[in-house]
Amino acid sequence: MGARLTGLPADNDSAVLLHPHKRGLQNLDRMARYRDGDEVDLAVVGAGAGGSVIAQRLARRGWKVVVLEKGPLWDPDRDWVSDEKGAGQAGLYWTDNRIISGEDPIELGKNNSGVGVGGSMTHFAGYVPRLHPSDFEVGSRDGVAVDWPISYDELKPSFERIERELPVAGEYWPWGDPHGYPHKPHPVAGAALFAWEGARKQGIEMRVGPVAITNGRFGNRPHCIYRGFCLEGCKVNAKASPLITHIPDAIEHGCEIRADSFVTRVEIDNESGRASGVRYIRDGVECFQRASAVAVCGYAIETPRLLLNSVCRRHPRGLGNAADLVGRYVMVQGAPQVAGRFPELLRMYKAPPPEVTSEQFYETDDRRGFARGFSIQTVSPLPIGWAEHVLAEGHWGQSLREYMRDYNHWSVLGILAEFMPLAENRVTLADEKDGFGVPIAHFSYTLCDNDRAIVAYAKKVLEQVWHTAGAMDVLTIDRYAHLVGGARMGSSPDDSVVDSSHRVWGIDNLFVVDGSVMPTQGSANPALTIMALADRWSRLV
Amino acid sequence: MSLRDQAHPNPHNLRHRNGTTPQLVGRYPHYDVLSEADHWDEVTRRVVLDRVERVPPIVFFTEAEAGTLKAFCDIVTAQDEEPRIAVLSYIDEKLETGVGDGWQHAGLPGDGDVWRTVARGLDEEAGGCYAEASEETRVEIVHRFAKAELRDGVWRDLDVGQAWGVVMRYVVQAFYSHPWAWNEIGFGGPAYPRGYSAFGSPHLGEREPWEGVESVHYDPVRDAKKWGLD
Repeated sequence: MGARLTGLPADNDSAVLLHPHKRGLQNLDRMARYRDGDEVDLAVVGAGAGGSVIAQRLARRGWKVVVLEKGPLWDPDRDWVSDEKGAGQAGLYWTDNRIISGEDPIELGKNNSGVGVGGSMTHFAGYVPRLHPSDFEVGSRDGVAVDWPISYDELKPSFERIERELPVAGEYWPWGDPHGYPHKPHPVAGAALFAWEGARKQGIEMRVGPVAITNGRFGNRPHCIYRGFCLEGCKVNAKASPLITHIPDAIEHGCEIRADSFVTRVEIDNESGRASGVRYIRDGVECFQRASAVAVCGYAIETPRLLLNSVCRRHPRGLGNAADLVGRYVMVQGAPQVAGRFPELLRMYKAPPPEVTSEQFYETDDRRGFARGFSIQTVSPLPIGWAEHVLAEGHWGQSLREYMRDYNHWSVLGILAEFMPLAENRVTLADEKDGFGVPIAHFSYTLCDNDRAIVAYAKKVLEQVWHTAGAMDVLTIDRYAHLVGGARMGSSPDDSVVDSSHRVWGIDNLFVVDGSVMPTQGSANPALTIMALADRWSRLV
Repeated sequence: MSLRDQAHPNPHNLRHRNGTTPQLVGRYPHYDVLSEADHWDEVTRRVVLDRVERVPPIVFFTEAEAGTLKAFCDIVTAQDEEPRIAVLSYIDEKLETGVGDGWQHAGLPGDGDVWRTVARGLDEEAGGCYAEASEETRVEIVHRFAKAELRDGVWRDLDVGQAWGVVMRYVVQAFYSHPWAWNEIGFGGPAYPRGYSAFGSPHLGEREPWEGVESVHYDPVRDAKKWGLD
């Protein structure tokens, strides 16, 4: 099968390894099984955007790879529910307790935290914009935060490879480094059309996409059916997650996905100072997987938690934490939602929530009075999400019921605002322990003045969009989305946890390959960047 | 102020005629999402139909707590007559599993204890049993709860604004996951594996053949302004 004829990537067969009519993985009976005593070449902690990509890449190169994932190996037909509440009951979100605090405590769970093979991408909306070239040098360009130790150009080939593998559908992208996408844009539903029209009248350019949802033939991945439940797990297999984009190929090349296995510690050999493997709990039994290298891919909360919990003689403050940087500089994006009400029936529950986007406000513009900026995206909440929006505006009782009866007349736009990395926005270990005896994470968050200024400005822009579009009523609420940082990448052990090749400073064979290494975040949804970083790392090791 | 006073424009003008909605109020009188259940995948169908057919018994809360909290749920969801969605039963079921939503405010106890504390606090504010207080008192207490203006007694140990956020998150999840509420608001429900085909340009205003047709005597936004409501 020629890659050029099918549009399929040459070095990832996941899409054809799937069954055309069943969603569950078809090659599990061929999956390799390693014993704890075998020294595998790489133990990967977490089967999300980072861990799945490196597992697939290195398995293809002949490495013996074991991925340890706390949650289950999903079969979407059997496990997932096409229902807003049912998705949570099915266990799709990370619901183990975590403590939140600070002036602006960040809600976790379904908002930003996944568990199980595929990670948070099983329930992400599907937006996969690239970072802009400027994102890698905000320290020198804008005088805020820090530069990355790598440039956009170093990551660009990885962005391109991942976009082909997901695959990404969208219009030609004029912002940042202009580029096209492998699949054509999806049709735009009524609710988003109103937003688009308002933006156009306001002089704001919007484009369709980019979303990791098939729009055309792609192996055995079906076409999207526009049922609108992207955030509840795609039962169709149209929306990408590593469960269907990288795990099938990884298994085919000898990688073992060890689900339901919660890693509690990375062990360091006291003599050599190298990582010797990972301690994990499966079926209530503590086990130890030997490995010649370990990659931690647990995301912005679990990665710091694991590094901090892995205290040992050589690292009494936790791994990579000599300079007290593990768990610091965690970032969320400001994600206020502004809704507009129209006389027409818009039925925003139809079609995927991610539809049209603008990055016109992405870069610094001194006239606005703050550094960096934001992007604009449609969000289209389902009833519970919309009720939370109405509630956040202070409505309950009859007023809540009446706004809810009006659901089909509303369209919702969201912001992604670039928040700054701040040392005090951090993950620490709480006194309380989880069922495995591991201290739970405590996540504290407080916005800085620049963060607040971006959000205030962005909300005004969206309110103007709705008024220009002829909205009769506008509802605005504050919220936050995504998580990155916590084990930042840098050029010196004094200001970072890992070097530019993701190696934890001071431990030769321990790597962090996930969103926690990001020093800054731009106004882009992080999934594509995390996968691209994982692709780049796989080529470095 | 009574619930009915709050209720302008009066949604009771329009009685639901097909299927069930809470209090038989709704905008889509001929729409019953449950009549589409044959088009849903089996896993989803079981989960959704169980909400209607198997209302879970109260096991987490004590009888006294349940009485108070049912009355509270009725006020915050404006359920003043049958048929009611048994909001507290679904909340009780979720709390009994011990699995929360994945976070806890540093200043609050676990979600279950927040609920129990709220029950005690509502009774204290009512000077006895909240459920037996007048409707006016019940509404007034919730007004102050929503504005985080409850400060004495058990409320002293609680961040009242955060506690309101916790309990209302449970309430809206229980209420708006129920098919009767979907009938009321005209939501399409699971829609798998069928999906949607009539949306967006050039189908704006079109609907799937099975979707509800809206029917209202007034425009809620324009008329709310006319009647001087926020």
